[in-house]
Amino acid sequence: MKRKWIATTLVCTMLTAALAGCGGKEETGAASSDASASGGAESGAAGGELEGEITFWHSFTQGARMDAVQAAADSFMDLHPGVKINIETYSWGDFNTKWNAGITTGDLPDLSTAQNTGEVVEMINAGVAAPADNFLDTFGRDRFSEKALGDMTWDGSTYGIPYYSHAQVMWYRHDLLDAVGAKVPATWDEFYDLAVKLTDDDTYGAAFSCSTNDLLGTRYLNYYVTSGGGSLLNDDLTVNLTSDLAIEGINFWVDVYKNCSPAETVNYTVLDHATLFYQGKTAFDFNSGFMISGVQSNTPEIAEFVDAAPLPKIHADDPDYSAEATHIPLVIWENSEHPEICEAFVDWLLQEENYIPFLEAVPVGMLPAVEGISDTEAYKSNETVQFYSNAVDVISKAVELGNAIGVDDHGASVQASYLTSQGIIEAMFQDIITNGTDVNTAAKAAEDQLNEIFDMMID
Amino acid sequence: MKDKVKKDYGRWMWVLPAIVLVICLFVYPLGSQVFYSFTSKTLIKPSYGIKGLSNYTAILTDPDFWLALWTSVKWTVLSLLFQMLIGFTAALALNSIKNKVARQVYRILLIIPWAFPTIAIAIIWKWLLNGIYGFVPTLLVQLGLADQLPQFLSTPELVMPTLVMVNVWFGFPLIMVNVLAALQTVSQDQYEAAQIDGARKWHMFWYITLPHIKNVIGLLVVLRTIWVFNSFDIIYMITGGGPANVSTTLPIYIYNLGWVNKFVGRSSAAAVILLIILLTICTAYFCVLNRWEKEADA
Repeated sequence: MKRKWIATTLVCTMLTAALAGCGGKEETGAASSDASASGGAESGAAGGELEGEITFWHSFTQGARMDAVQAAADSFMDLHPGVKINIETYSWGDFNTKWNAGITTGDLPDLSTAQNTGEVVEMINAGVAAPADNFLDTFGRDRFSEKALGDMTWDGSTYGIPYYSHAQVMWYRHDLLDAVGAKVPATWDEFYDLAVKLTDDDTYGAAFSCSTNDLLGTRYLNYYVTSGGGSLLNDDLTVNLTSDLAIEGINFWVDVYKNCSPAETVNYTVLDHATLFYQGKTAFDFNSGFMISGVQSNTPEIAEFVDAAPLPKIHADDPDYSAEATHIPLVIWENSEHPEICEAFVDWLLQEENYIPFLEAVPVGMLPAVEGISDTEAYKSNETVQFYSNAVDVISKAVELGNAIGVDDHGASVQASYLTSQGIIEAMFQDIITNGTDVNTAAKAAEDQLNEIFDMMID
Repeated sequence: MKDKVKKDYGRWMWVLPAIVLVICLFVYPLGSQVFYSFTSKTLIKPSYGIKGLSNYTAILTDPDFWLALWTSVKWTVLSLLFQMLIGFTAALALNSIKNKVARQVYRILLIIPWAFPTIAIAIIWKWLLNGIYGFVPTLLVQLGLADQLPQFLSTPELVMPTLVMVNVWFGFPLIMVNVLAALQTVSQDQYEAAQIDGARKWHMFWYITLPHIKNVIGLLVVLRTIWVFNSFDIIYMITGGGPANVSTTLPIYIYNLGWVNKFVGRSSAAAVILLIILLTICTAYFCVLNRWEKEADA
């Protein structure tokens, strides 16, 4: 009988321990959520008094960037012995899924990056992003681009802190252009003709990719529509895929696919697609400055022939434009119990001694979002930045002129974010390419489908 | 009487961990899935309302659902058929090898595909079949079997056969190992007796081997049907369900509804429909298995 009671007690103890393990996060710090009012960048700079544990999710899966962030976190924890920063890394693709699921499970960070400014608006819509006005006012709003902050401003509050910037430009191989005596194309027609001309058994002029697991179809269509002064969103924030300009754009990219792109790219994601240029398989591509590090690590022998130019226009005398500029934000989460630590850590990340090593992890790929950094000797002395100075200028101009996809004249909206995250425009392209569906019919179906999603998802 | 009550209480304490686990891992997920299928729940909005059967209506009137169901049926039937054929044949071949060491070596070699994690299989095959620089298309051109690089992963007519081939390559060793184990339980005396009676090989296979191993085969068919019908990773990682939904099976359709479009309610309704389909198939299978068992007992 005694043995039975011992066993029963053991089972109860095990159960209690298991249930305790399922419990919430332990309160490790003295600071409470009330501290947010008195926190901010200054408290971080003062040092010493911060105490608590935060979780930081970021998507810098490449070694050098991950190491730079980890080094900054380590030095911050050395400076503030009472602080613990838990860093968790998720790829860009997994990040959205992770926080979407976290809303239900409660597994959310204190601080994170976001894929783009559109995702910040999605976070605002879900009620999980906290205003960053306290930090921005202390750090100095004027130290960030007005456009970058505007992309993340909603009902008078700004919810993201720009970490770095990049923009979409046209990349080309000037050795291939020189070989056929061609100059850099300035219009879409010139680009198309040259891409077809450069397509042979070994090289493709350009690739058009439209995997439904990525946003390339939307991105490319947006290039064309923006170059004609249009938008993929109407003024009432419904989708517009059936305007003359959009239909012209869809036809243009389908032609590119048929006449100068590998057939397999119908199912290619951003990385698969970019790898073609990295490996010298395509003569042209459209991407940000990350292209350089990709080429350098995959096919270093062609890196010296790579350069960037502005996106082509419909007519040569059309005004200069930028179709897509992205300011990767840092977001403090509403559920954070230690926003003061988050703010102090963000301030630390943006200090020159931490910020420049981070930017140098992917030179040209990540342009500074903080004013004045690009003028510092430490930044300008980087060899890659010097060698690709033309590309840096082209991208910098595109950053100044551009917004995120769908933001353009309409301002930040959840619709702009959903435009790129649903894979519906990509499915439309696949339907046209694979099934031969009429362009107008496919565009109308995709437009209706996206508008239905907007209706269901947005309050 | 008092002691008896205490004894019963103690018994319940022992099974309590198992009950808690079943509730956490089975009852709660299934119950919440069924509940959400009647709601407007989305992945990112905390509030939702009861929508009755509208999610089910939306799913059952969606042509993409029926396309995904048809693709799932093709994927499952073809994968299972070829896995059984190749697995069974390989098991018979291995069983006929008299040298124990050689049989062991062959068995290890043939089970290698099953030992691979599916993520590795997907990446390897995606690379091998790549239509630009893949080994297989290039080899076919060099051997003169194709004029230009075959596009296994983007030509609609080739995509499903290619994926089925990968799944067969991955799945046949499981069938082989199980059938081989069953074959080794068949008494040699029966074969010798049949031989003395002048039975041919085909007769021995049909009247001795098959009756002995059919229960194992039946169980394998049940298990593999569920696994293959539900399998997600190989297709998702190789083609993502494309191009143009050509390889979108029901699990990928459900994933896209829930995690891409964020419609948890609709995605749950589709998952419940998938569950009903699988339960129906399994019930039919088990009826057949029960009949076989009764025949064997009789």
